[in-house]
Amino acid sequence: MSNGEFSIPLIHNSISIMTPFLLAAIGGLMTELGGMLNIALEGLILIGAFFSVIFAAATGSLFLGILLGILMTIFISWIFGAITLYLKANVFITGLATNLLAGGLTAVLSFHLFGTKGVLMFNDLPSLPSLNVPALHGIPVLGDILFGHNILVYMSWLIVVVAWIVIYRTPFGFRLRGTGSNPNAMSALGLKPQNYQMIGILISGFTCGLAGAVLTLNLGAYVPNISSGRGWIALVVIYLGGKTPFGILGAAFVFGLAESLSNYAQGFMDIPADFILAFPYIITVAAMVIMSVIQTRRED
Amino acid sequence: MKVNRSDWFVTASALLITLGAAFAVMLVMIFIMSETPGETIYYFFAGPLTNKYYLGNMFNSAIPLILTGLGIAFAFRSSMFNLGGEGQVYAGGLAATAVALPLPAAGAFFGITISLLAAVVTGAVIAGLSGFFKMKWRTDELISSFLISNALIYIVDNFITGPLDDPENNLLVTSKIAEQYWFKKIFLPSNLDISIFFIAIIAVLAFYYLFKTHQGYEMRMCGLNPEFARYGGINVGKYMILPMLWSGAFHGLAGAVAVFGTSHACYKGFSGGMGWNGIAVALIARNNPIAVIPAALFFAYLEAGAKSAMINADVTIEIASIVQSVVFFLITAQAIYNFVKFRRKAV
Amino acid sequence: MESYLSMRNISKTFSSTGLKANDNVNLEVRKGEIHALVGENGAGKTTLMNILYGIEQPDTGTIMLSGKEIMITNPLAANKAGIGMVHQHFKLVNEFTVAQNVVLGTEPMKGAFFFDNRKAEADVAAVIEKNRFHISPEMKISEISVGQMQQVEIIKMLYRKAELLILDEPTSVLTEQEIQRLFKTLRELIKQGKTIIIITHKLAEVKDISDRITVMRKGRVISVKDTADVDESEISRMMVGKSVVFDFDKGVDGCRDAVMSLENVTIKKKRQGRPILDGISFEASTCEIIGITGVAGNGLTELEDVIAGLERISSGRVYHNDQDITNITPKALRDRGLAYVPTDRLKRGSSLETSVKENLILTTHHDFMNSGGVFDEVKINEHSKRLISEYLIDGHADVPIGTLSGGNIQKVILARELEMVKDFVLFSEPTWGLDIASSEFIYEKMLEMRARGVAVILISSNIDEILALADTVIVMYRGRIVAKKASGPELTREVIGEYMLGLKDDYSTDDDCSSDNDHSKNDFKGEDN
Repeated sequence: MSNGEFSIPLIHNSISIMTPFLLAAIGGLMTELGGMLNIALEGLILIGAFFSVIFAAATGSLFLGILLGILMTIFISWIFGAITLYLKANVFITGLATNLLAGGLTAVLSFHLFGTKGVLMFNDLPSLPSLNVPALHGIPVLGDILFGHNILVYMSWLIVVVAWIVIYRTPFGFRLRGTGSNPNAMSALGLKPQNYQMIGILISGFTCGLAGAVLTLNLGAYVPNISSGRGWIALVVIYLGGKTPFGILGAAFVFGLAESLSNYAQGFMDIPADFILAFPYIITVAAMVIMSVIQTRRED
Repeated sequence: MKVNRSDWFVTASALLITLGAAFAVMLVMIFIMSETPGETIYYFFAGPLTNKYYLGNMFNSAIPLILTGLGIAFAFRSSMFNLGGEGQVYAGGLAATAVALPLPAAGAFFGITISLLAAVVTGAVIAGLSGFFKMKWRTDELISSFLISNALIYIVDNFITGPLDDPENNLLVTSKIAEQYWFKKIFLPSNLDISIFFIAIIAVLAFYYLFKTHQGYEMRMCGLNPEFARYGGINVGKYMILPMLWSGAFHGLAGAVAVFGTSHACYKGFSGGMGWNGIAVALIARNNPIAVIPAALFFAYLEAGAKSAMINADVTIEIASIVQSVVFFLITAQAIYNFVKFRRKAV
Repeated sequence: MESYLSMRNISKTFSSTGLKANDNVNLEVRKGEIHALVGENGAGKTTLMNILYGIEQPDTGTIMLSGKEIMITNPLAANKAGIGMVHQHFKLVNEFTVAQNVVLGTEPMKGAFFFDNRKAEADVAAVIEKNRFHISPEMKISEISVGQMQQVEIIKMLYRKAELLILDEPTSVLTEQEIQRLFKTLRELIKQGKTIIIITHKLAEVKDISDRITVMRKGRVISVKDTADVDESEISRMMVGKSVVFDFDKGVDGCRDAVMSLENVTIKKKRQGRPILDGISFEASTCEIIGITGVAGNGLTELEDVIAGLERISSGRVYHNDQDITNITPKALRDRGLAYVPTDRLKRGSSLETSVKENLILTTHHDFMNSGGVFDEVKINEHSKRLISEYLIDGHADVPIGTLSGGNIQKVILARELEMVKDFVLFSEPTWGLDIASSEFIYEKMLEMRARGVAVILISSNIDEILALADTVIVMYRGRIVAKKASGPELTREVIGEYMLGLKDDYSTDDDCSSDNDHSKNDFKGEDN
């Protein structure tokens, strides 16, 4: 099974599966560095997924769909951030609120606009353009793995690089890390930690909006609860990636690989589909527990 | 979530502001969405109270919410987050069903007892695991409980649609449990069953446990001020696990009661929302086991209203989730408490 | 001479405690001087400086700088006015380099978007160069010593062009050489025309470094002097004022059996140049009050935590009635009957949102169960009623303890702990911030314990209460015991004061500090691996 015929499409597939995890985790990293565990990622992905596909269908433009979908997601993340930071509410409860709001709002709007709470098919939606560079495609193995994905995949890689630059090379990233590490150091210098946390939350709105767009625009359809736990798994991806953009890229790939492996396994082994669905959660919990065991050992 | 519990006026006012905002959002939504807003609002508010069937069902749907609310209240009281309620309820329901199905000939009391026990143990073990990880390795219980629960939902799905599936029925449901285990209906034609009395007693017992026993005392002290608890010689690690065991036990029982009282079989996804609603119930009840009863009724009313509006008018039931999310957003907001306190001082 | 800074009629009362921290305080500081602000714990020095730095707002009073009245609403405004403060507890981001910590908030830019780390390092290197600090801008905070962290805090302020520098207890965490290095730096800064206010209660240092002294006591300014005109004992007298005379009949004297004993107890932490506790040995015996004193930052807090079982020790042993109890859990200690009145009444000693009644049963709640396994409310109510009247607590059993005054909270804690005393009790700063009446009440209770044959350990930085109560006095300085003396007429405030301030040391083994320091450096490396 180690021949290229099997492993190349597997890795190719892993890359497209990992994209939403990667995007959501990069956004979550921004709030994490600011010292907040952002459990609203899940809901924000759902918002992005729903609005980008319906706006794309309404305007007939993928670009406008993505843009408006992201704006909507940023708006919801602003509500989340403003209530948490300025009304001083518990971040976990407001995070749950965001997830509930996302579930409710998408269902209500789906019913109101389309008369159904089920799957919304948008058949005449153009599919996301893929990046094909025939010249490079010829490179053995690597060419097959790295090319032929849709443009949002490449955009997510770009975002990883940009995130790295923002975090390590700009005053904002610098102060954001300062906020998460020691907010007292910030306030002693007259800087307001909440402002940096707010921007972190808005960035997570942006990336989750895009993560959602990846899900629906790839499919040309909206399926209720299409985020299906990706926001939660992204939280663990952040930890596994050592809270760095490139670490997250690696960790997200491992998750993508695990999921595509389990999809393949389903093809030739008699594993019930439900177990395949449970699999990402199980490996995520396992990874999380192992991480904390290692960390506790190291500290002692 | 630090609120001076003695000042009931501030607490009550802040709660009213929160609920007021939630209903205001709902009214706005109805006016935007509905062609006939007046009618929709009527069905939403009055619907659940118009006949015996709706009224009874409303009370019936409060039963599992009381239990999940208690479960969350126990966890919150000790500063633990159990976000795995959904999976714990579901697995509890399945465990009770799985035990009851092979026992058609057993006596009702015996059969019900061991089935419910199975549900309680199942829920407790699932949630307790997150507490154990937290105690032992400081694994965040909030994320771990959620992830474990989600994995379980699919595994339970698999049992319902696979090994335990009723072959004579095309629906995704297990076979029905033996009729002698069904809880007695007390308000026909509705589904309301006799368990509501037992559950109310459980809530009272939970209150006693929390406030009148030494374990309850130690649990609360750990939640309110862990340093104080440790200083006083309380084993703080124990109270990372014990409240999670209780929390899971309540959730597991909620699943079993929903099966034995209402559906008599495990439907795929029968418990959807019960876990999340439990969190809302506990927050509104400010983690007081007795107050959980009215809070659960309030949420049951909200859901029943949304259901009635969906059946009779032109909005969908998820409008209730939006109202619920507004409650979640505002219920812990310190600024609202400070606002009320400030106003009160000014007067 | 014209004042550079003058703070006039500053008053500040904290609404949470009702404590008047500053009462009509006037402070005049001249350009180019090192001005020492001295006083005991709670004299109001830090509050005054927090007002100057914009962390607190005064209730009344004005601040003039270079003859102009200024409003300082936050630290940023203070920085703009040329005022910088180095806090006692450093406010640094561990993951960042020295340079990054220094420029945080005013970063040099490369183009419109990018943070110029190289320029930051160069700029900070220039500041370091100019002031002859011994630190490299690209080192991470997590890799440098405590003394260097303090340098970073000073550099931070110099980078922000501070002309007036406030240093709050700068020497409390430093080694002797680090102190000398700091003083060299301060003198260097004065040469450059800066002005420095230094808060301290170490008199030798005051003499060594300052030009003028302002002495504060209980929120008021007592005296302003030129340093050259006073000697240490005079400053000491001004700081502590007239001794409050407590004269107690201690009663029985005799039965001295060791109850709790510490042998060579040592705590070492990573990156700390010297151990926090260094070879502490003493015995607490029946019918005896053992008084442990010292200035804040010299190991009293850590010793409190060790005795209470809340902090693990790195080496040494602890015994209770000849049984080894080294590093046992706080619960196990409580089960052995340890009663403990902690320094931190609000965070550790009580649960503020919980009722007085429930606070009273923390350590004894197992004794209030009826046969059915639930709390016997009648018994609990009687218990709290009895304690409230016995301990003269002004408050109702059912209200949250957080609504009571500080003195009454302390009495609730006292009542709870003394109710469970078996053979040893630990008091830490039991009268801090309390009025005379409450203090005397606590002293009476303490003597009552002693008369009952209980071993009493009293940790206190208040010399008067140590002198009035203790049978044996232990003085700590820099984590070590520097004196252990039986009480008697020859043991006076002055004698204790000399030990507390490091002027005398009965147990000094090594006069050559440098070898000691090398030794600890090696240990530090060892722990890092």
